[in-house]
This record gives sequence, structure tokens and C-alpha cells, in this order.
Amino acid sequence: MDKFVVNIIHRPEMVPEYAEKVTGHGKAEDIGRKALLTESLDIFRTQQRCAHENGLKTTIQMTYASLFNDEAVALAKEHHEKYGDEIALTLLGLPCKEFREKYKTKDFCIWMFSMEDKRAIVRDVFEKFRERFGFYPESTGSYYMDAELINFIKAEYPSVKCAVATCWEEGPKAYHTCNNSWYTFMDGGPWAPWIPSKVNTHAPAANEAEDSGIVAIPHLSRDLLACYDGNGSNFGTHPQNVLRGMIYDSRTWEFPYLFNLIDQYRHLAKYNNGYSYNMMFVGPGWMNKMGRWEAPYELLLKSYEEGCAYYGKLKREGVLEDMTMSEFADYYRSKKTYTEPECALWRDILYGSEKELFWYCDPYMRACVNMDQGGAIVDLRPYAAKLEWPVGIGTPHIQDASYPFLIQEKYRAGYFTHYAGEGTVRSAKISHNGEEVDLCLCRTKAHFSKDGRDRILTLDPVDIEFEDLTVKLQSVITFTEGSGEIKIERRIVEMSDPAAQVQIQEYMVGCYGTTEYAEDMSSLTLKIDGGEAPAAIPYEYKCREAASAGADSVSCTLPPIRTRVTLTARGPEKSGFVREGYAFSPMFTLGYTGTLKDKEGFVTWLRVERAD
Amino acid sequence: MAQGRKGRLNYRCPACFMRDLDIDMFYDKDRDEYYCLRCQFTGSEAEVLAMNEQIKKKYKVMLKRITVEDYDD
Repeated sequence: MDKFVVNIIHRPEMVPEYAEKVTGHGKAEDIGRKALLTESLDIFRTQQRCAHENGLKTTIQMTYASLFNDEAVALAKEHHEKYGDEIALTLLGLPCKEFREKYKTKDFCIWMFSMEDKRAIVRDVFEKFRERFGFYPESTGSYYMDAELINFIKAEYPSVKCAVATCWEEGPKAYHTCNNSWYTFMDGGPWAPWIPSKVNTHAPAANEAEDSGIVAIPHLSRDLLACYDGNGSNFGTHPQNVLRGMIYDSRTWEFPYLFNLIDQYRHLAKYNNGYSYNMMFVGPGWMNKMGRWEAPYELLLKSYEEGCAYYGKLKREGVLEDMTMSEFADYYRSKKTYTEPECALWRDILYGSEKELFWYCDPYMRACVNMDQGGAIVDLRPYAAKLEWPVGIGTPHIQDASYPFLIQEKYRAGYFTHYAGEGTVRSAKISHNGEEVDLCLCRTKAHFSKDGRDRILTLDPVDIEFEDLTVKLQSVITFTEGSGEIKIERRIVEMSDPAAQVQIQEYMVGCYGTTEYAEDMSSLTLKIDGGEAPAAIPYEYKCREAASAGADSVSCTLPPIRTRVTLTARGPEKSGFVREGYAFSPMFTLGYTGTLKDKEGFVTWLRVERAD
Repeated sequence: MAQGRKGRLNYRCPACFMRDLDIDMFYDKDRDEYYCLRCQFTGSEAEVLAMNEQIKKKYKVMLKRITVEDYDD
């Protein structure tokens, strides 16, 4: 039977994010205001009540501030005894009078501190926790936990086995939504629990040697289509985020989208050996008595009550199991192998577009396949490189914790529709008698299957209409567990003229980066190995091209992200090519051309690996 | 003219929201209108609420319940 697990997490945040700025408008800042502290604890109590009334246990993540509050500590102990809640420790909620006086800073995101400060804060917070509770926590977290931080915590406090360690696709989009003021750049990570590698939190461990020793969970279970496309903070299993997105009926205050989202997550069990996961982690600032933006407190409360009620209903029906974070870590370790991928064939449940995306994540890559673009790969993160990427003050990445992409259709244009240039995407073009059609323009649907170590996406055939020929073509995309490769097979199912021949061009337009803005590509090298004319092009933005009939492989090496991406192919008259970008359009292109007749197929493998 | 203030509920600018920007508006009591610091939007409460309803039109199936049973793959 399928297992749907939920983690419900609450934090007594004595100075909730948002609350001081929002409720305190028109007042000088005072994070020690008694009214603020009292309200914060009241909200925590309310959240706990909502969970317990529905028979759900929680993980109470004590904040640094709450460790100075006897009432908060007593509440946690009482609820642990009475309801089986786990008492854990979060590295969110650092701001309080005591913290500000001690560390002389308004920084509050643990991953952005210097390593020296991270060590000091972690020791301070963990020892304070032990002083109050008599033991060290088994679970911790923040919005993001960088690898150095996790490694340090695990070494100093080995009892820790679970952590909230990223917030899915919270990056430039969230920054823009907040008028370029919200510095949480953590795109490119897993959307569901994973075992982080010691080197890079976002990249899952491939084996025991890479294992950081914790199970990571995402902060919120987010809509894998709406969040990818727009503001992540509107579309997740966070009832007030759904209100933030205005996804409710203004008259009736109904918001079925939240339950649709939970149910789509339940459905993901189909792709993941019968397991699926949800988490709800609402900071108390979101249940402010003053209301939040357009939503009055009554609506904020209703949404949280009904969210908990739905999880409670599913539990009573026997289709949901509530766990604390540490319980979940044990369960996850018992059922997960390192290389087992996480898969999600995700449907639009909000805009009515019927679009589908397929997300794949394993220790070697995270990839997104867009069925509305004929099965094009529109996002690709090469985890195989296990890129060292220290984050925080004193590192090259003070705020930017995102795992770099090779392809990102939103930040670096996907299928290209503008005046001049290229957009990053992995697709194919079919041509005949001077006409050319890109599969990005062929909308289709996918069917998921599993065969041994292969996760297979079989797309419905698409019709390609030329002036004098119609071609029915099918794509099959295979992810082989542990291989670091994506195999794409295109097969001609039918042709209006069975004797006709078409040309196929399999291509990948790529670059690297974590934001919308171009990086320096000067250190990249394009290469063709084998065939009639092997070639190498060191990147100089000169718009050069090379091709080699019968090439064994075409590749690009990207030293800044220590990654090599390679295409190989099998098919009639295959010829490999590479194209260098130019200043206005700096992306590189790798590809193969070939020919196809009726019933013939052309197969390519895209491989990502560490370059050094 | 007195300073702009936030009301009990803080309306966001509907014009900015349409381009994925959450910008709190301020209220000018002399003119009885909300205004945005980021763009040129100004409007009465009724205009803001009407535009918020417009925003929701992009969520075509916002009120449709889609359950596990609706996935037929």
C-alpha cells in the first residue's frame, strides 16, 4: 500500500518574520516589545491546537529566542509528553534582543554568516537548547543549510539526523517578487526529501562516502509547475501562501487549490515506489492577528485550521502517516537507496492549461522535461559535479546558494522567440525540403513507467506537418538510475509518404549560471571527438562552428562549475557539431544531425559528469 | 498633506501583483485612495478589490477540486 508521510512543523518564533515590520508600521523598531512576544506565543499555541485537534503530531522547532522564554519551553515539554511531539531546534528565528546584543548584527539567515560565526552561533544555540531540555536535538533546519554548516553540526552534534535544508526554487523569482529585497537564492535543489552530499547540500549523496549523515527535507511542498513559472511563495503546502497568491474565492473564502496540491503530492507515490511526502511549516508571522495583506486574521486562521483538518481526515482514512522529523529520517533511511531517483510527472492544477512537467532528481542531475514543448529539457542541474560552493560572508557566494544550471528556460530563454540569439533548451528539429519544425512547438502528454533501473517517459506521438509530408514522431526519454545520462529516442511512427526521408537535428543549447545574467564563458571548451573532423574550440565568443561526420561525441567543458556535458548518438548518417556563442548570445550548442526514414529511430545520450 | 499610512489590511498594488511583485500600498486619507510607490497605480478600495478579482482570472481552475482519482495515467 502507498505511504503518504506528512511532517507538520511549528516554531515559537518570538519575533516573527514580517510581524515586526508589518504590525509595527508607524512605530520605531523594538523587537523586545511585550505585545509582540505575547502574540507570537499565542500564534504558536493556536498552530499546535490546530494540529492536535486533528490527531496530528508535530515537530516543535525551538528558536533561539524561544529558548529564553520559560513559557515556550514549558509548552514544548508539555506537548512532547502529551502528544508525542518532537522537540527540535531551528536556526530560523535568531532575531531577538539577546542575539542582537551578542552578535551585533541584524543578519538572521544562518547560511549567510561567516563560517566562524556559524560555528559560534550553532554552539551557542545547541548548548542553550541542552541547558533548557537536557538533551541535544535530533532535528534542525533553516531555509537553507549549506554543506559546511551541516558537516559542522553533524560533527559536533551527531544526534542530528534530519534538517529542513532548502526551499524549492526560491531564488531570483522570490527576490524579484519582494522588489529585489529578499536575499534567499536557493534554486536548483530537490523538491522532496533527500540525503545531501557532504560537498553540496543540493546535490544528493551518491554513496555512503558522500553521505552528510542527515536526511534533508524541503521547506514546504511546492507546486512543481506554478512555483517554477512564478513566485514560489504563492504555491505550496502553506495555507497562507495560497492566500498570498490570492488563490481563493473572495466571497466564500474557499481555497480548494491547497487540497488539490496535497492530493497531487499524494499521487506522486505512483512514480516513487509507493512513497510520497508532504510538509507544512508555517512561521507564526503568517498568522498575525493584524491580518496579512488582504487576508484578515479570520481567513488566515481558517486556512490553517482547514489545512490541518484535511491532513487529519486523510490520517483517519488511513492514507496518511504523520511523523516527526526524526521519525521521518529513520523511515526514509530504511527505505531509500542512494541512487534511487525522485520522480514527479506534475500537472497544472491551477491555470487550466493541462501542461505537464516531469521532474527527475538523483545524485547526478536534476532535470525538468516539458511536455508542452514536445518533451524538451528545460532545466538541467549537473549534480554529478558535486560542486564545492561555500556560502556566506567570506566566501565567493555571500548570498547565492543555488546549484548552477546548464539549461534554464526562464532565466536564459528556452525555445527562442525573440529577435536574435538562442535560448537554453535540449530539443530536436525535424526538417524536410527546406522546412524545419522544432519539437518545442509540438505539445504532447507523457506516460511514466519503470523497468528495472530505468524510469521511462513515453510521450504521445506528435504530428509534424510539412507542405508535402506529414510525419508522426514519438519521443521516449529514459533516465537510468545511477548513470548520469538521459537517453532520448525519436522514432518515426508513420509518414504520409513511406518512402520519404527527413533530417533530424538533436541539440542542446547551454550555458551556466544561477541567475538571469550571463556569466563569463571564456574558460569553456567545445570539443568533437572522433569522426572525420575532430575539433576543439576554446571559447572566444567568435561564433565559430565545427562538425564531424560519424563523431563519437560532442562536449562542452565548463571549468567554473567543474562540469562536462557530452552528447553521443546512434542513428543513420549521424554527424556531430558544436557551435560557439557570441557576445549578444553567449550560449553554446552541442548537437547531432542525422536522417530518418519511416519506422527508423535516432538515439542520443546526454551525459553530465565532473570535469576535473 | 499628511503622510501615507497602511490600513488595517495592507492592500498590495494590483498592477504590480500582475507582474509577480508584492508591493504594499499606502493610503492617502485626504484623497481617499491607495497608491503604489513602485508604479503609477492609484485607486479607491473598490478599484483595488475589483482588480484583485481580475488577477484571479488567470487561475482558471482555482475553484475546481482535483483529487487523486482525477489522475488517470
